[in-house]
Amino acid sequence: MSRFGALADYAPALETRYQLLPFRFANLDDGRCLVTNLVGEYVLLARADLEDFVHHRLVPSSPVYDDLKAKHFLVDGDHSVAIDLLVLKARTKASRLAHFTGLHMFVTTLRCEHACPYCQVSRQSEDRAAFDMSEATADRALAMVFRSPSPTIKIEFQGGESALNFGLVRYIVERAEDINRHERRDLAFVIATNLAIVTDEMLHYCREHDILVSTSLDGPADLHNKNRPRAGRDSHERAVDGIRRARAIVGRDRVSALMTTTRDSLGRAEEIVDEYLRQGFAGIFLRPLSPYGFAVKTKSYAAYDADAWLDFYFRGLRYILELNRAGYRFIEHYASLVLGKMLTPFDTGYVDLRSPAGIGIGALIYNYDGEVYASDESRMLAEMGDKSFRLGNVHRDTWEDIMTSEALLGPLEASFTGSAPMCSECAFEPYCGADPVFHHATQGDAVGHKPTSAFCRRNMAIFKHLIGLLEEPETRRILLGWI
Amino acid sequence: MSAVLSFPTAVYSVEAVKRAAYRFTDRLSFEISLNGEEIRCSVTALADMTSEDLASVTARVRNEVLDQDLRERIAAETAVVRNVVLAYAFSAAGLQDL
Repeated sequence: MSRFGALADYAPALETRYQLLPFRFANLDDGRCLVTNLVGEYVLLARADLEDFVHHRLVPSSPVYDDLKAKHFLVDGDHSVAIDLLVLKARTKASRLAHFTGLHMFVTTLRCEHACPYCQVSRQSEDRAAFDMSEATADRALAMVFRSPSPTIKIEFQGGESALNFGLVRYIVERAEDINRHERRDLAFVIATNLAIVTDEMLHYCREHDILVSTSLDGPADLHNKNRPRAGRDSHERAVDGIRRARAIVGRDRVSALMTTTRDSLGRAEEIVDEYLRQGFAGIFLRPLSPYGFAVKTKSYAAYDADAWLDFYFRGLRYILELNRAGYRFIEHYASLVLGKMLTPFDTGYVDLRSPAGIGIGALIYNYDGEVYASDESRMLAEMGDKSFRLGNVHRDTWEDIMTSEALLGPLEASFTGSAPMCSECAFEPYCGADPVFHHATQGDAVGHKPTSAFCRRNMAIFKHLIGLLEEPETRRILLGWI
Repeated sequence: MSAVLSFPTAVYSVEAVKRAAYRFTDRLSFEISLNGEEIRCSVTALADMTSEDLASVTARVRNEVLDQDLRERIAAETAVVRNVVLAYAFSAAGLQDL
């Protein structure tokens, strides 16, 4: 008889060799399971491996064991280090919450010389008094801006066409700079403008005060002009000329553009991307229409469903990847944001993909009349007569009134994806967000019914698609370059 | 078009069946009840559906109940760590000072 037992006698029982750390899983279309942890790190497992893993039958020599261990899905030895790392990453993801409300949008006027059928809010009116923000309102709003604890403050000028009230833009910029001499925040400005009536003098002012220019470009001239009609039918010509002048005066990297997808855009993804290339942009943000304002009234929003938009999006993304393979570095910005959430410990801060939701604590909007809304979409909803997300008024309410209003805290709490039905167990939750305004607008409920939610359908499809693309080595190399 | 599914209480929780059912509420309505040692789940299609389609979707409901059962097991084993991680993550948020 041997003096010692066999080695196997001293090995811990299989059942106790490792401990599971929190994770969620979802079945993918190819029979594999996506497994994500609390901070969005993921592993793809065969169903049998998932079952073995959960039932503590996975052996350390298994090909997936080290991956699961490295990404904090299990601990089997140095307990505290693995959990400490997970905590650190989770804390990093949540760190933005401590510095809430960095984006403050000022609606300097609702007036606009365009008549876009999908526009959410603007008015074609000469009545300056009725639709322009006053200096008194701007002063009260600025006082609120600097109550935010955020070390970075971005003031964005929205409209209507914000440049139609450029005098107020100047006033706000200089008042904010003045206040910031004491506050010492990282202060930035953005002007959202169609550029049609922007003069070189305005652009020189933007240069002097480091104001970024964000404009609209929907695609080639015929599509852009159809989407964005104005007297003279020259919206595209003016936008392109404005982009050229803005780059020359403000700086090439200080000018960006956004597109909106209408039904007329759906079959033209490649042409739209080509237009962005032609105009010298390094990327494009392929965006669906929002269910607010005139987009609903003119039936633009109902003109296509989530699946039609996804076809458009995937076609555009495929074309962009082909361009990258051919040597053109060109980014799709929504994919870039999602990839950042999938592959880094940092939160991108993108308002629609945050939980707790981005309303109020991500951004506030000060309307021309002093009303404060939880997001740009909230004021668009208000223009349709639904003021559910009106948080207060700069003339009557305090910062505390606004930030603790039930109109903000109620939907923030109810829509939190960590506890919302279906979201709380969803493997894609770390990449997704709560969008209470969208769900309120489309389903009449801030939480939303996720099995029928267009937001959920769109995002789940994109997340799955990107995870699939990351499996292809060359595509993965390109996508990693977008983060 | 309707069907009845049953799940033994010795194997599945009512919560797992409810969570699974919720995922299919875009096309099915559910009535869930306890019948002795059985969870009884009456399923009705919300729109026209062939019997083959209903059989296919109820098979997916059954698989989803299995997934929910697995999720319950994971949640039970990891609840303490999950709460610790989230407590630390959100403790720096400062929202409680508002």
